[in-house]
Amino acid sequence: MATAHHDEHPAGLMRWLTSTNHKDIGTLYLVFALIMFFIGGAMALVIRAELFQPGLQIVNPQFFNSMTTMHALVMIFGGVMPAFTGFANWQIPLMIGAPDMALPRLNNWSFWLLPFAFTLLLATLLIPGGGPSGGWTLYPPLSVQGSMGTDMTILAIHMMGISSVLGAINVIATILNMRAPGMTLLKMPLFVWTWLITAFLLLAAMPVLAGAVTMLLTDRHFGTHFFDAAGGGDPVMFQHIFWFFGHPEVYILILPAFGITSQIIPTFARKPLFGYESMVYATASIAFLSFIVWAHHMFTVGMPLAGELFFMYATMMIAVPTGVKVFNWAATMWKGSMTFETPMLFSIAFVMLFTIGGFSGLMLAIAPADFQYQDTYFVVAHFHYVLVSGAVFSIIAGVYYWLPKWTGHMYNETLGKWHFWLSVIGFNLTFFPQHFLGLAGMPRRIPDYALQFTEFNQWSSIGAFLFGFSQLLFVAAVVQTVRGGKKAEAKAWEGAEGLEWTVPSPAPYHTFATPPRIK
Amino acid sequence: MPMTRLPETQRRAIVRMAAILAAIALALFVYTIWRGVK
Repeated sequence: MATAHHDEHPAGLMRWLTSTNHKDIGTLYLVFALIMFFIGGAMALVIRAELFQPGLQIVNPQFFNSMTTMHALVMIFGGVMPAFTGFANWQIPLMIGAPDMALPRLNNWSFWLLPFAFTLLLATLLIPGGGPSGGWTLYPPLSVQGSMGTDMTILAIHMMGISSVLGAINVIATILNMRAPGMTLLKMPLFVWTWLITAFLLLAAMPVLAGAVTMLLTDRHFGTHFFDAAGGGDPVMFQHIFWFFGHPEVYILILPAFGITSQIIPTFARKPLFGYESMVYATASIAFLSFIVWAHHMFTVGMPLAGELFFMYATMMIAVPTGVKVFNWAATMWKGSMTFETPMLFSIAFVMLFTIGGFSGLMLAIAPADFQYQDTYFVVAHFHYVLVSGAVFSIIAGVYYWLPKWTGHMYNETLGKWHFWLSVIGFNLTFFPQHFLGLAGMPRRIPDYALQFTEFNQWSSIGAFLFGFSQLLFVAAVVQTVRGGKKAEAKAWEGAEGLEWTVPSPAPYHTFATPPRIK
Repeated sequence: MPMTRLPETQRRAIVRMAAILAAIALALFVYTIWRGVK
């Protein structure tokens, strides 16, 4: 067997530009995601500042609409997805005993597409006509009529899509070809399982989005009428195609979060994960169901009753495998020797708050009731409970959990706990009142509102600033840990299990050059 | 520690799998537009 000496890597900028090492690329993804979280967060604060009072105070309506659109695109495609890909890069090879990802050069390209894509997207704010402002869903006819910013957004989405598909191919090829001898599929850590299933979702969903935005582009510039009723097209078709991508996308954003939580809770409960196999099957069931529920996002377009009933019941079925997961996490904690370090606190908050988001999702799934909730702040509250206290809390939990392995130092627990409590209070203050606003009829994506909505909006804006600024504590904790601190042992947590804890902390540049044997 | 080069059979299996997955992604993209045209 031939060997090559790759230990010496270029220093400085060239290391990061040319790296094919999974740990370097994982770090790049995570740093990129953190920057995007702050850019997207700043946009959220512009929105909340404007909504602090009724009337128009700070920004004009066009810019406000750009902020809601860009906030979503930046957070979804720039924040959450790259953060999970960062975890995948760092952890999957370490957890399956592989020396690296299967396609390291492709891995480098997957990452480096992203900074260009987001530069293009953010640059739309600087051009005449401004950024895209028709909502992240890019529904025609608004998106067909929009400025050049929409074209730049379409190109940026293509680049993000290529990056995601290449990343997904890499994850699948790695997991199916690079596992250490003896690591059968049902011995893989749950994080690896959730990422394998997520990668298949990405592979099936992202090309559909690419097709949809390509048709938008040809409608805008090449005389086609895919979505133009006057030319024989159908704007509702865009909604069907978009949500055929969009609903699996929701699970792309949450399945890796399930995986991280399933690693953390057993560690701090000091018990094996309850119902491992049922967790795997539940994840696969959720992934399958995610492809047959898309039209619950568009109950009000006027579809046949049979369609509404099908999509309503199919959506409700997702509660079954999701319930299996929530009960399994609770059963893992049951009678465990629990301790409440920061990763565990964020994971417990994840289970409780994500469940609230799940229940409001069930309310939205009821087709007749959805006619009332559609396009109100109730929807905004629902998906932020799923995506912030769901996806983002699990990302934060995962960073605190694996930071000792990545840096070789323990983080400051006091700082971590301050970060947790301020985040959890700020988050609930921001988004819980939005349920009431929505039920009372406040529409989403508007810069002004009727006077009776003022008080809950003020609570929400105060909460948003508290939540936003408390994330600076996270940055402080991470920077402090990277720079120094108490040395972390190979097995940083007493209850941790898995191959990643068998290598030293920090993990050496190359690990598992000789594959470990799994019993 | 030197990096180990993967055995040739494993390298081929990886490239074959990546090519098949990329072809699936491309086919889905084309199929989406084809359905739009129909």
